[in-house]
Amino acid sequence: MPDTQKSVCEQRVFEEVFNTHSKTIRNFIYYKCGDAAQAEDLTQDAFVKLWNNCAKVPFEKAKSYLYTLANNAFLNEVAHKKVILKHQKSVSSIASHESPEFVYREKEFKEELDRAIANLTEKQREVFLLNRIENKKYKEIAEMLGISVKAVEKRIHGALVSLRSEIKEFKK
Amino acid sequence: MEHQNNDTYLAKWLAGDMSEEELMVFKKTAEYKDYKFIVDVIGGLDTPTYDQQKNFSATLNKISNQNQKSTAKVRTLIPSWAYAAAAAVVLFLGYSFFFQQTNFQAQLAEQTNFHLPDGSEVILNAGSEISFKSFNWDSNRTLDLTGEAYFKVKKGSKFTVKTKEGTVAVLGTQFTVNSRSDFYNVTCFEGKVMVTSGKLNHILTPGNAISIQNNIAAPYKTTEAVPSWTAHESLFNEVAIYEVITELERQYNITVSGKENLKTAYFTGRFSHTNLQQALTTVFDTMEIRYTFDANRNVRIQKYK
Repeated sequence: MPDTQKSVCEQRVFEEVFNTHSKTIRNFIYYKCGDAAQAEDLTQDAFVKLWNNCAKVPFEKAKSYLYTLANNAFLNEVAHKKVILKHQKSVSSIASHESPEFVYREKEFKEELDRAIANLTEKQREVFLLNRIENKKYKEIAEMLGISVKAVEKRIHGALVSLRSEIKEFKK
Repeated sequence: MEHQNNDTYLAKWLAGDMSEEELMVFKKTAEYKDYKFIVDVIGGLDTPTYDQQKNFSATLNKISNQNQKSTAKVRTLIPSWAYAAAAAVVLFLGYSFFFQQTNFQAQLAEQTNFHLPDGSEVILNAGSEISFKSFNWDSNRTLDLTGEAYFKVKKGSKFTVKTKEGTVAVLGTQFTVNSRSDFYNVTCFEGKVMVTSGKLNHILTPGNAISIQNNIAAPYKTTEAVPSWTAHESLFNEVAIYEVITELERQYNITVSGKENLKTAYFTGRFSHTNLQQALTTVFDTMEIRYTFDANRNVRIQKYK
């Protein structure tokens, strides 16, 4: 029904779009550049552009429009430097019900994993972390990035294979 | 098993799309434990906290700021005094452009090398100074020199070096001029050099030099290909560390392993060609590169911080 269509130009709708997508977009850029402040800045810019072009962007297209904007802004502004994502020092939930050996291994393992994640290709990293940390389904990721589900699966698979081969402990 | 040539089975496993049998087989493989471990640890990772409210108001701020900016642009009239100010700036810049001298100086115990606007190269020996006008350089290649310098001149219009004692004029060539307080010396390494001092006029060909003292010219020959003072040091100005190390290898006939793993960094400085240990220290310590050096003159880079 055309008259029930939402318009992004309405502030209420705009806010709704923001609340639904801004965090994931922030993290999506964060996985690429490793700088939370910069990721937030680029995310805000994407929403500013969405607002400026609200008349041209139908509500259903807003999401992929935002991802494209944020991604382009990232490509334009951020040099393709290697990323070390700093893990929060939150107490890991899995540690509590695992054996002491696991806890010990996990600790020293995290550092190595950080490095291995940084060494993934940018394409593998964004897809892998969107799935693992943002809990996005392959289909959702495929829509966000405008690629096929098969391509997402290949990147996920490639990321795991690469992580395993990067981590020295497994080579023993 | 069919996993081996399937490039998405790990993705299927993560999504829980593996069949019972597939899963059974996969769980028996050696790598299953590794993958399980990676996935478990990554599940415990977190991203920096996100303050949605703060970001939303920041976004609204940006939107209203941009509106302000665009309306401000339309409303602002340029006050008439701005034109006068702009004209003054243009005049000043023009003045600087036409008349300002560019100066290069080499302090005591150091050499400076630089390029002139046409790409000609100058190496300035210690305690020397050169000045020239950048404007219209290509058709008026004239510079003033105090001290000693080595020139590699690109082909083009006449290239003139003025000193207190006389002038040297050339077309594309390489030569040195030494014009210290009581001494005037010109050596030609390539091409033809015309030396004028007072009423004396000399044309030098490669391998020839002349020194003039008290209006007496003393020509002599040289076998050097380049002046020795330019050759016992390597100078770098923001050169990629990889290139610097390559130069070290060339100068000392050593091999440095691991240099291709260094991150991109730029080195500004110089190293001596006469003391390897010192040169290594100069380059590596300043760049915080740990290295080992063995009896076979092999340098191994250990770690780059």
